[in-house]
Amino acid sequence: MAIQIDVDKCGHIENCPGEGLCIKLCEQGALVEDNGDVKIIPENCDDCDLCLQNCPNQAISKV
Amino acid sequence: MSLFAREGLENRELIHDNDKCVGCGICADTCPTEALRLGPIVPIARGLLKMDYISCNKNECVLCGLCASSCPFGALTLKIDGEEISQLKDYPNWHNDAKINEEDCLFCGRCVEACPRDTIFFKRDLPDRNDLLVGEISINDEDCIYCRICSELCPASAITVTSNNEFGIPDTIEVDDSKCVYCKVCKAACPENAITAICSTCMHNEEIEKPQITGTVFIEGKCIDCGWCKSVCPADAIEVNKPFIGEILRDPELVCKGETCHACKDVCPCNAVEIIDNESHMDPEHCNLCGSCAKACPQNLLTIKRESMELDNIKSTSWQDILGKLVE
Repeated sequence: MAIQIDVDKCGHIENCPGEGLCIKLCEQGALVEDNGDVKIIPENCDDCDLCLQNCPNQAISKV
Repeated sequence: MSLFAREGLENRELIHDNDKCVGCGICADTCPTEALRLGPIVPIARGLLKMDYISCNKNECVLCGLCASSCPFGALTLKIDGEEISQLKDYPNWHNDAKINEEDCLFCGRCVEACPRDTIFFKRDLPDRNDLLVGEISINDEDCIYCRICSELCPASAITVTSNNEFGIPDTIEVDDSKCVYCKVCKAACPENAITAICSTCMHNEEIEKPQITGTVFIEGKCIDCGWCKSVCPADAIEVNKPFIGEILRDPELVCKGETCHACKDVCPCNAVEIIDNESHMDPEHCNLCGSCAKACPQNLLTIKRESMELDNIKSTSWQDILGKLVE
């Protein structure tokens, strides 16, 4: 299962209460900063769901 | 920090001490009005978010005190007219605690090192080293060339060589009797045989009394009864009464993400979680069944099954129903 970010809900680092909390939580490098926004690297994701659980904007889901 | 206060027939105030809080969410689960919310415990525990573990919605809180009575760690306090409800005869009481018996304590300090909450106050008085040694040392000023070989080699840092002249050339040597242990390394190394050192400790062995090590040790307020102090204590001087008896169950159908996630390990206030072979393992000896790990696990792998708790004096039936859920 791959994760997806709802761009309307996401704080895009700048407006995220955790200043890109998902990036900081993901130790697999599946969520990285790219031009001030969050980018998903699907092949690095281990489906741990930490990002889903902790996104302050509930912007992350699985497809 | 005062979460909320209201004045009426009684003055009531709810106080949260985040230092004592473990982020288990027992209070939030107990709150009948859903006024207490557990925050994002994983990022908080990892230091990624600077906020308290819980927050209180003042519009919803009725200051009933159930949360304070449910907290096994004393992190929440409800005061009624200035008095804590845990001290009032009509309110529930927790009996979990950890105690160090100073009479049996060897003052080794192992419990201090093991405590994951840094909550053990420890101070010991060591005997004067010179009371345990017999010997003599002197340095002959006339033969000494102030080469510093002795002072550099001295394992006790008892010898100092200094200069008292305007050129900065060393011309003074001193031995601190209170530091010297008469090991005679200085004497052996001195190129000018300027040092006289005699150790007669062995000769006087029977006269040297074994010292009594005394001190003060006690457990302060942040204790969560994990039992680390007890398990490392070589003198059996510590008693720990855990808040709950029970176990942690894991769903065999679900997969632990181990090193990728380690959320349980990060939030565990007891240092009771280890990731072994990419899977989390909870050490029952040091777990206090607070349930933080189960709350943190994004896979919902864990269930806390508590069989009994050290909470009693629950007088009202409705409170019995609500607080009784902690052990269902």
